[in-house]
Amino acid sequence: MRRRTVLKSTGAVGAIVGVAGCLGSGGFGDSNPNVILEEPDREFESSDVPYPAWGEQIPDVSLSVPTESREIRLGDIETPTLLTFFYSHCQTVCPVLIATLRNVQSHAQNNGYADAVTFLPMTFDPARDTAERLGEYADEMNVDADSDNWQFLRPASKQRAKDVIQDQFGVVFQRTEPEDMDMYMFTHTALTLLVNADGFVERAYRSKSPDEETIIADLKTVRNA
Amino acid sequence: MTGLGLTGGSLWVAKNGLSGIRPRETEQLPVRVETLDAHGSSAGETRVPTPGTVTVIDLFATWCAPCDDQLEILNAMQPEYTDVSFVSVTNERPSETLTKADISEWWNRNGGAWPVGLDPGSELLAALGAEGLPYIAIADESGTVQFGHSGLAGKETLRDELDALV
Repeated sequence: MRRRTVLKSTGAVGAIVGVAGCLGSGGFGDSNPNVILEEPDREFESSDVPYPAWGEQIPDVSLSVPTESREIRLGDIETPTLLTFFYSHCQTVCPVLIATLRNVQSHAQNNGYADAVTFLPMTFDPARDTAERLGEYADEMNVDADSDNWQFLRPASKQRAKDVIQDQFGVVFQRTEPEDMDMYMFTHTALTLLVNADGFVERAYRSKSPDEETIIADLKTVRNA
Repeated sequence: MTGLGLTGGSLWVAKNGLSGIRPRETEQLPVRVETLDAHGSSAGETRVPTPGTVTVIDLFATWCAPCDDQLEILNAMQPEYTDVSFVSVTNERPSETLTKADISEWWNRNGGAWPVGLDPGSELLAALGAEGLPYIAIADESGTVQFGHSGLAGKETLRDELDALV
């Protein structure tokens, strides 16, 4: 129902864009029948970036939930979802990304919408991010990992991590061996995705410290659509 | 878990560079934060920065290992700067998995003898433009932020900044 309405108005928006010339992305204008949020203010098209961006569908892949010994297929998720990409030994960017999701999870719990959102942080370090390790990490980050809405995802192997996270999600990660550390680390893209219940990206937050209030507000619009 | 963050501060700085001295637009300041009942702090509200005095604002999170180290440094310095107001704030949103009591407990173990507050919407974090934790900002008497630093800030750096303001 709603989609049809959006589709109808697309024509009008497209026409206005046509007249105005260079507003937004040209072509179909700034509406997309698959998403609820308007096109973000940005200077590129979704197709220009390596990761799934506004209006694009995320890959429908299956990944294991190591803490529960089962698999999740992303296409089966029926709520809006927040996805991010991390490794638990990370000391700089990832804890901020995970803490941001954790704060949104807390907001969801405190405000009665815990079952209307899913959090899927995906590790690209399957070698070290075992079920046990991820359990400890959840405790350390004060995540409610017992809640159904939070699932750490883990590609089964290094190769699978590369295939899914790098090739399909466009999140580049590169192993490094810092001189002052006795373990390997990664440099990687910082990306958090807000995906609607149909698997389309509503927002791709390309920030090392995504704004929590913005995510909560965007999520609210998507949830209430 | 062990060893996490031992070099976190320096690594952060290495990756992101020192922000150094950069007075910021402070239109979004002051921010009112809820304070907790904990060592050196009582339940209520406080304005950040503290009106009329030089203020050291320390942004931390209980999960952030270098934040403990930052507090240790601030703790060692604070007695020398009795005219300076210190306040520490976390943007962690209290919930079942991390209650206000948990944060107070953490503060009693790691914190200083000054107010500790909550910034559950990251309003203060955003106002200061903090991109990582720990983050230290120093505001002058008029409330203008004169210094902002992502990652562990050393004693000497902080001393230089404070001595210029008090």
